[in-house]
Amino acid sequence: MSSPYLHINGIRKTFGDVVATDHVELEIAEGEFMTFLGPSGSGKSTTLYILAGFQDPTAGDIKLRGKSILQTPSHKRQIGMVFQRYTLFPHLSVGENVAFPLRVRRAPQAEIAAKVKRALSLVRLDGFEDRMPAKMSGGQQQRVALARALVYDPPVLLMDEPLSALDKKLREEIQHEIRRIHQETGVTILYVTHDQEEALRLSDRIAVFNKGKIEQVGTGPQLYASPATHFVADFIGDSAFLGGELAAVASGRASLRFADGTVLADVPMHGTGSAGGKASLMLRPERIELAAGPGAAGASLPVTIEDVTFLGNNSTVSARTGWGDVLSVRLNFGHPMMGQVQRGDALHVRWQPQDAHVFART
Amino acid sequence: MLLDFDKLGLWKWILSAICALMALFLLLPILFIVALSFGNSRWLIFPPPGWTLKWYHDLFADPRWLSAAFTSAKIALVVMVLSVALGLLASLALTRGTFRGRAVLRAFFLTPMVLPVVIIAVALYAAFLRLGLNGTFVGFVIAHLIVALPFSVITISGALETFDPSIEDAAILCGASPWEARFRVTLPAISHGLFSAAIFSFLISWDEVVLAIFMASPTLQTLPVKVWTTLRQDLTPVIAAASTLLVGLTAILMIVAALIRKGKSR
Repeated sequence: MSSPYLHINGIRKTFGDVVATDHVELEIAEGEFMTFLGPSGSGKSTTLYILAGFQDPTAGDIKLRGKSILQTPSHKRQIGMVFQRYTLFPHLSVGENVAFPLRVRRAPQAEIAAKVKRALSLVRLDGFEDRMPAKMSGGQQQRVALARALVYDPPVLLMDEPLSALDKKLREEIQHEIRRIHQETGVTILYVTHDQEEALRLSDRIAVFNKGKIEQVGTGPQLYASPATHFVADFIGDSAFLGGELAAVASGRASLRFADGTVLADVPMHGTGSAGGKASLMLRPERIELAAGPGAAGASLPVTIEDVTFLGNNSTVSARTGWGDVLSVRLNFGHPMMGQVQRGDALHVRWQPQDAHVFART
Repeated sequence: MLLDFDKLGLWKWILSAICALMALFLLLPILFIVALSFGNSRWLIFPPPGWTLKWYHDLFADPRWLSAAFTSAKIALVVMVLSVALGLLASLALTRGTFRGRAVLRAFFLTPMVLPVVIIAVALYAAFLRLGLNGTFVGFVIAHLIVALPFSVITISGALETFDPSIEDAAILCGASPWEARFRVTLPAISHGLFSAAIFSFLISWDEVVLAIFMASPTLQTLPVKVWTTLRQDLTPVIAAASTLLVGLTAILMIVAALIRKGKSR
């Protein structure tokens, strides 16, 4: 078996009694865009800092092309990094900032000039060489930081929430640029963010972090369509959760009993649980149908309409189940039910069995 | 703004008048001594009956004045260098360190600012008697360094606090060793703080008189001590000329410090 390009092998990091990351295991292919997604304090940044060499792991190893890099000090790892905060050297011009990594490597002057020009052109800042960082906008500064991190062709580029200080519109614009730069350079990128939209837009694969552990790794569509855990289902995309109790569990399928006695049988089950344990049924709003009665095929539940909100291209309908849980259903503009549904209507929600998921709750 | 200056009405004039009076109160004695240094009366009469440059001639003709000025400058320069170097190291420890008792240590570094100078002077005099440092160049430097260091620590740690350590991390990932990153990135980025610390340290030593009187010997005197001893023997306008030059250099350095601060905020 050939060894992976970058192998994060069982990284564990503790600060006193606090476990920041616990056995993080990940293989990253050359040229891949991998995003660490998770809430703050989930261990995604700690993992990145360990890669950068700013922190030493308590246990585990990191291998680049089969060789451990943990014994190499930060400045010799050749890794590029763009930080969350603006880290351009304030006393140097944009050109000198980008030239800095080449100057500390004692590169010849002609090579420096050519590479700086190419790197600035890559981030679309041609001709900004003489500008001082203080005279640039936040978005421009992060683009210069990106050029500086890429100018020496690092094997891995780390990005630690580089866009979190920017406003939404600018953020989307630069996400676009990052995607393009990734395609043009083919550099392997590890990107940290807490913004699921950003992760979905940029990444080849996403590693979802929670409480120091990776909950699931996969492409955006994989994570959305078949989340492995309750946390992933909740974190990626909108979803409705209905709480209940496991009636029976067998070979990846479960029967779920709700508070009013309704039993749904044969639902795909994730995680481990046994009969009598608590569990949730997860449904994506766009997979739920609203109808007058139960259908011939598929699953259904009777509901009472609580509220209808018109949102332009769709309406969101809040429906209350017999035992009091509320789930939202999306009706696209032009749907036959739109304009007819009203508060207090007694209807049914229906879905296809493969679109529902049961997660055991601990 | 709640207290918009333009909307204060009558108060605007009262406040302006108070400010003008304050400025006059601070400046008048200096203007007085400058005027006297150019006056042709031998008795420090104000207003001077006529004008002359005689006292400046006398000042520059007297080797004792020149040697005092030279001593002052030498001490101030050495104090300046040591104060910035030690102040930088102390500030790095105070702003970057995570050790216990950091706040206590910072307060301790600043005590020479609040302690009466005469007490420091007496204590040093007693200690230096045993060490044989009274009346020596080293004794002067140590004494002035003690009062200059707090200013260095304040200005340099102030500059370091506004400098994001992530910038140093970025330099390290760019391939610079930790010391290279500090020299090529951190120091240039806080250079305004280092320059201010240097100017203030120089001035504190240059103007200092209490410690200097205790440290001085008949052969080793700073300019302020020379002014003071001359004043006790003989009320000559040469003192006014010497004072004017002292004030002149101080004013120039203060303006340079202000320009550095302005350049930094731009």
